[in-house]
Amino acid sequence: MSIIPLRPRAGANSHDGPPIRLVKPGAQDTAGLDDNALFRTVVMPHIDEAYRLARWLTTNGTDAEDVVQDASLRAFRAIRSYAGGNPRAWLLSIVRNTAYSWLRKNRPATIVSVDDLEAVELEHGKLDERHDETPESSLIAKVDAEQLRAAIAKLPAPFRETLVLCDIEGLDYREIAEATEVPIGTVMSRLARARRRLLETLRQNN
Amino acid sequence: MAINGHGLAQRPRRLPHWMKDMSAPRSDDNSVLLVHAHLDGELDPANALSVAQQMSQEPALAAEAERVKELQKLIHDRLPREAAPPGLRARIESSIGTTRQLRATPSWMHSWRALAASIAVAAVVASGSTWLVVGSQQKPVQIAELLVSDHIRSLMAPEPVDVVSSDRHTVKPWFNGRIPNSPRVVELAKDDFPLIGGRVDVVGRTPVATLVYRRAKHLISLTAVPAGDVFAIGGPHSINGYNIVRWTENGVTYWAISDVEAKELETFAQLFRTSQNEL
Repeated sequence: MSIIPLRPRAGANSHDGPPIRLVKPGAQDTAGLDDNALFRTVVMPHIDEAYRLARWLTTNGTDAEDVVQDASLRAFRAIRSYAGGNPRAWLLSIVRNTAYSWLRKNRPATIVSVDDLEAVELEHGKLDERHDETPESSLIAKVDAEQLRAAIAKLPAPFRETLVLCDIEGLDYREIAEATEVPIGTVMSRLARARRRLLETLRQNN
Repeated sequence: MAINGHGLAQRPRRLPHWMKDMSAPRSDDNSVLLVHAHLDGELDPANALSVAQQMSQEPALAAEAERVKELQKLIHDRLPREAAPPGLRARIESSIGTTRQLRATPSWMHSWRALAASIAVAAVVASGSTWLVVGSQQKPVQIAELLVSDHIRSLMAPEPVDVVSSDRHTVKPWFNGRIPNSPRVVELAKDDFPLIGGRVDVVGRTPVATLVYRRAKHLISLTAVPAGDVFAIGGPHSINGYNIVRWTENGVTYWAISDVEAKELETFAQLFRTSQNEL
């Protein structure tokens, strides 16, 4: 049971390295475009996703707008390094990095380092310590949008971004791995832990 | 797409790269992760089937699947995906437009700009002022506070401007000699934002150019502050009921401050940025 390949995606490449910023055969689709046209094709269609991710990371609409504007400028400057991969994942990785620089600068207290996170994961215990209680549908029915939003906002950033990209934005694991610059295995583990923690918080609040 | 069963049988029996990435996952952890992957539609048909079988034999895994499904439904029902605020795309497009113009500038203009910049720097050094320090050391929120104070003070003064003129050809030269770089001045009278004049404000110890426009009975102060840090972001959108709109172009951050509605101030900013009626 240890060898479970993920379902290959349409158009996905089979290279094993980090999927981001590799020149792919599909890159020539955009080769004839100038920087501006490339930006319009690659970045502009994903501004909504960019804004929502920034909003979940900064937990504030105004800050999210600033972050997206800054990230767009960075994306424009780096548009030549976009190599025909997944445009949404490419942009979201820039948004994410911009949001974290912003947080480091403006709210240093909120930044959780990777080391802290490992500690959190260890403290949180192994995944196979199963919670046997199934949350009754009544619990779920009681949770309103505000409570849910607050509970997601409470997740440590690496868990939160993974959950948001998967369960709200509907990215697949490969895209999430690309956007958050971690291996797919890490995406899977963060996602499972994020969902567990979220359910735990909702249960405690009700 | 390896949907056909034959492709699966031929798959090499080695660890796929994403499994190698996991720090020695225990098999039990693994089956939990695979339940999640299964619900997310990430498994190929053969493995989806085998996870489904495992779930039917292990109640704990089935319960995990139930919880995840309920959570996903909850998120889907309660948190509709909101669109980006209406002005955001336009602001992005216009900041990109500016960048493009910079890139498209012929090289002789770059050298001219460099020369102009060095003259400006020399002027700053000679006057002993702290021009360039403003943007890089003061936080957006501090600048915003100072500019709102300046705006309020100007409203209480006998005249909100030091030079009264609706003519940009008068206002722009007036700044020459008072501050190192004179601001971009555009005419927006036909859009019902007439220019009424200009004044010199002080941010920290640095003189900066402020243009004053009028909207009905409200005044808009528009201040040009050299941007020390291109990536400086953040800062409030209103202070004490005064709305603030800010953007950066060509190394200058423009701050529009007024008691007009936020939306109108946005419109003003948009018009100012796109206007061709400048010197």
